[in-house]
Order: sequence, then C-alpha cells, then structure tokens
Amino acid sequence: MSRTVLRTQLAAVARRPARLLLTGLAVLVASFVVFATVLAQQITERTVLDGLSGTPEQAAFVVGGDAMPTAQDLAAIRAVPGVAEAVGRFETSVLVGSAAHGAFLQVTADPGSGPLALVRTVAGRFPQTANEIAVTARTAERVGLPLGSVANVRTGSETPPVALTVTGIVETSRDSGAQAYASEAAVAALTPDGAGGRIEVRLSDGASADETRQRIQTVLGAATRPQDTAVPGIRPGAEVRAEEAARAVEQIANLFALVAMFVAIAVIAAGLVAASTFRIVFAQRTRQLALLRAVGAGRGGISLALAAEGALTGLVAGVVGVLAALAFGHGLPAVLGWFGVALSGPGLPVGAALAVVFGAVAVTVAAVLAPALSAARVAPLAALRAAQTSPAQRGIGVFRLVCGLLLAVGAVVSALLIGSRLPGQDTEDYAPLPMLLGLVASGMLAFVALMLLGPLLVRPLLAVAGWPLHRLGPVGRLAVGGIGGAPRRAAAVSTVVALGVTLIAGVLVGSASVQALADREMALSAPADFEVTSGDEPIPAAVVTQVRDRSELAHVTPYRRLGELRIDGDPENAYDANDLDLTALPVLGVLDVEAGTLADTGAGRVVLSGYFAEVLGKTAGDRLTLSRQGHTVEVRIAAVLPGWVPLNSALLADPADLDRLGAPAGYSGILADAAASGEDGRTAGQRALRGIAESTGGLRLSVLADERDQYQDVLDSLLGIALGVVGLTVLIAVVGVGTTTALSVVERAAESGVLRAIGLSRARLRLMLTTESGLYGVLGATLGLLLGVPYAWLAVRALGVGAPVELPVLSLLGLFAALVALTALAGVLPARRASRISPIAALGTGD
Amino acid sequence: MSTQQPAGPLYATAAVDLVKVYGTGATAVRALDGVTVGFTRAEFTAIMGPSGSGKSTLMHCLAGLDTATSGQALLGGTDLTRLADRVLTKVRRERIGFVFQAFNLLPQLTAAQNITLPLDLAGRRPDPELLDYLVTALGLADRLAHRPSELSGGQQQRVALARALVSRPEVVFADEPTGNLDSASGAQVLALLRDAVRDLGQTVVMVTHDATAAAYADRVLLLADGRVSGELDRPGYDAITHALSGQAAAR
Repeated sequence: MSRTVLRTQLAAVARRPARLLLTGLAVLVASFVVFATVLAQQITERTVLDGLSGTPEQAAFVVGGDAMPTAQDLAAIRAVPGVAEAVGRFETSVLVGSAAHGAFLQVTADPGSGPLALVRTVAGRFPQTANEIAVTARTAERVGLPLGSVANVRTGSETPPVALTVTGIVETSRDSGAQAYASEAAVAALTPDGAGGRIEVRLSDGASADETRQRIQTVLGAATRPQDTAVPGIRPGAEVRAEEAARAVEQIANLFALVAMFVAIAVIAAGLVAASTFRIVFAQRTRQLALLRAVGAGRGGISLALAAEGALTGLVAGVVGVLAALAFGHGLPAVLGWFGVALSGPGLPVGAALAVVFGAVAVTVAAVLAPALSAARVAPLAALRAAQTSPAQRGIGVFRLVCGLLLAVGAVVSALLIGSRLPGQDTEDYAPLPMLLGLVASGMLAFVALMLLGPLLVRPLLAVAGWPLHRLGPVGRLAVGGIGGAPRRAAAVSTVVALGVTLIAGVLVGSASVQALADREMALSAPADFEVTSGDEPIPAAVVTQVRDRSELAHVTPYRRLGELRIDGDPENAYDANDLDLTALPVLGVLDVEAGTLADTGAGRVVLSGYFAEVLGKTAGDRLTLSRQGHTVEVRIAAVLPGWVPLNSALLADPADLDRLGAPAGYSGILADAAASGEDGRTAGQRALRGIAESTGGLRLSVLADERDQYQDVLDSLLGIALGVVGLTVLIAVVGVGTTTALSVVERAAESGVLRAIGLSRARLRLMLTTESGLYGVLGATLGLLLGVPYAWLAVRALGVGAPVELPVLSLLGLFAALVALTALAGVLPARRASRISPIAALGTGD
Repeated sequence: MSTQQPAGPLYATAAVDLVKVYGTGATAVRALDGVTVGFTRAEFTAIMGPSGSGKSTLMHCLAGLDTATSGQALLGGTDLTRLADRVLTKVRRERIGFVFQAFNLLPQLTAAQNITLPLDLAGRRPDPELLDYLVTALGLADRLAHRPSELSGGQQQRVALARALVSRPEVVFADEPTGNLDSASGAQVLALLRDAVRDLGQTVVMVTHDATAAAYADRVLLLADGRVSGELDRPGYDAITHALSGQAAAR
C-alpha cells in the first residue's frame, strides 16, 4: 500500500517538476550559497597564491632563513656545478633625505630579469651598479623619486649620505609606496655590517637536486665564518613556498570559518522556509490525501511518501544549486577577466559537491518531517467535505504557548542579567567573551520563542503596521485581512525575514558604533591629514604663515603643548595640556562629550579627558588649580571627553591660560589637511610640507591620513564582508516570501476568482497580492528591528571597548524599506500569475 | 420573454446567436451553439438542463466572466463580448451581482465587510436604506460582525445574496445557489431571491438542475446541447420534472 501511495505522490511530482523546484527553492538557494562559498574560498586561496610574491617557483633551494648567508657564500654557491643561477635576496632599509624628517625605503636585491626576478621594469632600466636603484611607481610618487632623480640615502643617523640614481621604475605584486630594488652589490654596499637575507638557487637543466644540494652543503660548511655564527641551512624551494602559502592562506581560512558560521544560519533559515513551504503544499493536497486515507492508506504510509517526496525535493534542489554555483564559480573569473580583474578559477571539488547535495537532502528531510506527520493525520472524511476550505488555524496549542512563554521569559531574563553587568569606563577586569556568548544564547532563545509565539503576534502587529493600509481603501484592507487570515503561515515566513533583519540590524548598529569609536579615536590621535612637529625648539610663527600660504594645504592649525603641569598641588603626578582650537579642524566635529559642553570655551575653562576625570574624581563644572614652575591658574572644567582629549593630552586649555602658565610663544606643532581630496591632493600637501620642513630644518612631518585610511579600509571591508554574509539569510527569507506568496496564491485561487468576479480589476488584484507579500516584509522587518536593535545595543556595550552605541537611523529605515520592497518584489511574479487566471477557472465552477 | 427579438429596453440581459467553442480541431466542443434569448426586467428566470447543456457557459458569457466565440452578450444594450477586461471588470462591479454555489465569501472579512465589498471596490458608499432593508429582510442583523467561518451555510449564502443585491445591479446571476444547502436553508434563500424580484424589481437569472429550486422562478428556460430546447412559463414542480424527463427521453 505504501508503495502505491509513494507512486501516487511521485507521479504527481513528475507531472509538475517546476512545482518541485518552487517547493525546494529555499534549499536550492542555500545549496548554491554553500557551494559558492566553497568555491569562493578556492578562488580566493588560488588568487592569493598566484599573486604571492614570495619565493619564485624556479628556485630549487633556499639557503639561509635561519642563519644569514654571506656574499662569500653566494659566490661559492655560484661556482657549484649544477647551479644555473643563484640570487642573493638581500634586504636593508635606508632613510631618504635628512635624518630628522626622512622617509624610510626598503631596498631589496633583485636580478631584475630572468626566472628568479620578482620585479618587472616598466620604465628606464634595472640598476646594475652599486649607486643605482629602481623604485616602484607609488614610491616614486610618494617619496618624490622620479626616474633619473638622485636620492641621498643614509643607512644610519651617523653615517654620511650616499647618492643613488633612480634608473628604473619597476612593478611588483605588492606596492606599499616605500620600496626600492637594486643589485646585490648595491644592497651589500648599503649594509656595512653584512647583508641580511637569503640566497635563492636555480638548478641547470638535468642537474640532480640531491647531488647539487650535497655540493652546496659542502661549500657552505667549508667557508670560514666568525665565531658563534651558524652555517646557513638549505631548504627545498617547494617547501618554503608551501610554508609561505600556508601563512598567506591561514587568514583566509579564518575568514571563511567566520563566513561558514553565517552560512550555517542561512541554511537554518532555508530549513525553516522549506518546512513552512511543505506545510502549505500538503495543505493544498488535503483532499487528495484524505481520499488516499479513505480508500485505505495508512498514516505511516502517507507520512513516508511525503517524506520521500521531501527527500527527492532536497536532492533535486541540492543538485541544481551545486551545478548553478559551479557554473557561477567558473564563469565569474572569466567574466571579470574581460574587465581586467585577474581571478584564478576554482577547481572541481567533487567531495564537497556531494556533501552539499547530501546536506540539502538532510535539511529538506528534517524540514518535511513535521509537516508530513501532521498532513498524514488528515481525517478520511475531509475528502468528502465541500470544496469550501476550512478556515486556517488561528491560535496555537497550550503546550506551544507555554514553551514559547518560558523561552521568551528566559531570553528577557538573560538579556536583563547581561544588561545589569555591563562594564563601565574601567574595563580592566572585564572579560567580554562570556557576556557575548550569553547574548548569542539569549538571542537564540528569543528566536525560538518568536517562532513558537509568532502566530499570536501577527494580528497585533498587523493592527499597528497595517493601519495605514487600512486607510488606503479596500485593496489594502483585503491584503491586511489576507495575511491576518492565516497567521501561522504569516508568522512562519515573517520569522525568517526577522532573522535576516536582526542580523543586518546588528551589523549596522555594530558597525556604526565601531565607526563612531574609530572616528573618535582617530580624531584624538590623528585630527588632521598632516602633522609637523619640532624636536625641542618651538616652531616660529613665520613657519605657520608659510604653511598657511600654501594652496595645497587647508585648515592649518598650530598648537602648543605644555608638560610638567601639576593639578591641585599634587606633586606626584605631572599632566600635559594643549591649546588646540577644536573648531579649526573638521574631523574634531565628531567628538562627543561625557559631561558638560564644548561650546563653553574661553580663558579659565578647560576640557578634561574622561580617564583623568575619573582618576581625579572631577566632572564638568568642578574647579581645578593648574600650576607649573611657580605659575598658578584657576580653571573650571567646561566639558569631559570620553577617554582622551585630542593629541592625547590630559586636558585642553585656552591659549591665554597656557601663557599664564609660562608657555613659550612658539608652537609645538602644526596640523593641516590636504586642500584637495584623493591621492594626488595628499601627495601635493605632503610635498609642500616637506619643502617647508626641509628649508626650516629640525622639523618632522608625519602623514596621519595614511594611518586613518588604512584603518578605514579595514573597517569598510569588514562591514562589507559582514553585510554580505548576513545578507544571505535575507536572500533566503525573500525566497521564502516569494514561495509562500506563490503557494498561497494557488491555495486561494477561488478567493482571487471571487474578487475578480465581483469587480476587482487585474491591476488591483496584483496590487493586493504584492501588498500581502510586502506585508510579510513589514512584519518580519518590524520583529527583526525590535529584536536586533536591543541585542546589538547590548552587544556593543558588552564588548567593553567603550564604543558609543550609535543608532544609524537612516540605515535602519533604509533596511526596513529595502526589506519591504524586496519582499513585495518577491510577490510580483505570483501576483501576475494569479491575475491572469480567468475568474471562472479560479472559481472552479464548470458545466 | 422571447426567443425571437431579444434586443430592446424590455430585456435586462440577452444573448444574440451566442456561440462558445472550447478547444480546437477534433477536440473542439461547442458549449453554446447559437443561443438567442432575452431576460425580461424584474423577472426571475431559471436556466435548466443536463450537465454539458451549456447553462453555466451561457451564464458566464452573459455575466462577462467568459468571452464568446461569436454572437453578442448584451447587458442593457452593451455588448459585453466586445469589451476589454478593464471595462468588463467595471461592468461586473457596478451592473452585475453574483451568488455562487460555494458562497465564496472572503474568509478574512466580516459579514458586513463582505456585503459592502463590491461598493468598496467601486469607491462608493452603500445606500443606507437599502442596506438596512437587506440586512433585516435577510435576517442578518445580529450576524454582521461575524466572519464566514462563524456562520452556517444558509447564513453565508444570505450574506452572499446581500452582497449581490446591495449595489442595485441590473442583473443578479445565481449559480446553483442552493447546491450546498439543506432543503430548509435552500428554500429560504430561494424565497429571498423571489422577494428581491417582487419587492425590489430585481432581475434574477439562476442556473440550477434542481426542479424544486426552478419552481420558484417566473420562467424556466431549458437548454440541451448548447441550444435552447424549450421554455416554461410559471411552471410547477411537476411541469418542470415532466419537461426535463421529456428532454431526457428525446436524447
């Protein structure tokens, strides 16, 4: 009997293969995402390895790495039979310009051509003699060393400068902007104490690796070396390369481990969507299943048949998803190749593909079990009932209610507990990890509670969220009613949307907070693009005028820094103050106060760092006595900043007060921004300042902007990756909304028919169904924001890094709008299909 | 009622040489094979015939739910077969009322919302007097706030009847309105349909295969094989069953 049932079900599936794909769409997308992640890791690793500028592939042996080989060793190895080429990869770092304000250059020895070369000359020629160097394009720009120029470099502050001519511009796989290349002799000449580095050896054709290694070993052992110097070891090039590769890929593996966690959440979401889809599909077949029961099929047989159908769905969805990912993974590098982006293609990981398909089947079977069991419980009599479908179940069982409430209470209590233990300013003995894990656990409790109690929340939420739609007329009312009429279905799909929204909201709030923290830290340590500082002598006002006159620079702000300050007569601790004008630099606009106001400026007022405020036990409005070398000033604390005050001083004082404390008239430093944006503007600003610094002498220039940019790049790429991986869950949720709407349209065909018959136009029917679909988004996004924002708030506070919790209201509103638009979009196709069906066919009446 | 000259103000709705063919080639079925018939205003007409006689197809074409292959389906002089879907939708909303066998109320709306739905869709307010009258006459006063799932079959069909009547349509089409009801509820619904014709001057066209139901009608139109095969004026139950069995024998 059960084989007959199975045959009936599978025959139905075979007749409508498209519906099978629709049912398994969420699983299909999940399989695609999982396998695409596997391929993405392969692509990334291969791309990194291909672009790795480590040991050249032709190097058979690498000598050194443990102990330094000498120039003599190099000469000896070159003489060994079987050695086609030996390159000394010597490195040193030199200072360009004057000792006080020079730039560091990394000088590396390279053959310049041949299989062991790591650089390619793009202009001029590769240096040959000891007084020639080549630089990378960015270095030429940054350090100001164009082709043909002469660089005066020093190997130490005491040694006289050496003049090196730039004979070539080279290209290398990674250009940091401070790289030079030269011949071995040149590098050796720059390192009086002996060149550091290693020797790379290439074998001549047909030479035996083992024998050559033996011979090299012998000449190395025979060489005379200073006392306590070890003989350099020999390692096969392949081994060194593998090690370098493993190091390079290690970070990628860590990154993908993190990605895998979020992919796992997406897979869970797919399982939830699939379960809800199966429930709807089986509900549509109630009559048919009841008929089977009426003619004698057992419950077990029907459950089994339905589960088998689920397994088949999972298999098909998994295979299609994997094949699609494979096509995408192999297509992407090719397509990007046309645009000049070089990516390595992935391989064909058969094992991983099979594992993904198996996983798809497993997830689908897990998803189908509960719906299959409850569908098999249909009473045989249901087959004989009238066509009018019984109303959807509204409420939930007592057991489910109790479980849900218990979990909800657990989530709230654990969240409150964490909330009560949040760290203050002093985070010395604070361990964030247990708190964060507790938050994750609490969030999971909240979600399971949401899944259980969801149907009860749909109507109250709709009453609020659907209110504007109610006002929009009958179509809106019908849409709200349509959702409210099947709260279980609405809850099931909205929960998945909520899961995605929670994750994204968390990322948005988290990144906004980290961004605010970073902005604050950056404003304090790097308040401008450039800083010019003096050693001991104050900078005269004339220099400030000179800097102000340069059109390449903007926001030129001199400041004085005064140390050796005593507060309230305490002889133990000395503090420092500066008189930076907070209004002069735009970056300082991000500063937020812990107490008081920054608008309260002028003589007799100071801004105190929060750290010292805590140490001193003072807050805004309190008075301080500042004293230094017999001078004393009474001041009032206008504001307290969290952490430090700009330029990492203890307090910010008015210039007049610093005068009264005996500060000299000259400046300690000058801050300035580049007038133009971008790399060019910055280079121009840097050149202008360097010119002034060199002509004045004794000044040091630092480019704070580079530091800030690197920090910002890291933050941006982290945010991008985080949004990308949590976006997967949203994608699955949107697919879930699409399938739910599609199936609910099929299920409610008769309803559409009635509406069309009594005068609802096609366009308005489409609008109604699309609105319903968008309402799933409204419900999900509302729930998601209600959960996500408080949890993100707790998480940011629990991190204990003192980050201010920022609510990126615009981004969150944008997220809400995007989700509603996406879910509405998911309903467009089903709505179109429903509106095309003729009302008679929909009503199912016929002669 | 006449089968000769259906056009003119006398008729609320009429078919002129109406042909409907389903499918093409060898599998083509002529569901309507040149039907010409008119339905007088303020008259209750029942269309009867065996399965496949074309009675539902005729009603669907006249109601603007289905397109005809040729001929005309006139509603007060408007030929529905020439109208675009958008216009037809408006016609259905404003000039036609429906009562279905399966009630087809919207489960998410209350009885009151179901009744006024066609007017809501048209953006019109219901005539409060008519609404009051209908609610009282149909015995729904204490059921207005209930949803369909909380109503009995008879109550649901009475709500559907109110929905069909409240917009004062030119014609109410009823498709087996008693098919899903017990005989007592069915009799009540039929009596209400007749009252609507008598008291409100409503034109009602009902498709049925139940002679008891047809006996409530002023006229009975008999269809067979897509053609009009006879008509009876104010027949009793016996006359109808006699005509039907005669029709069956002729086949």
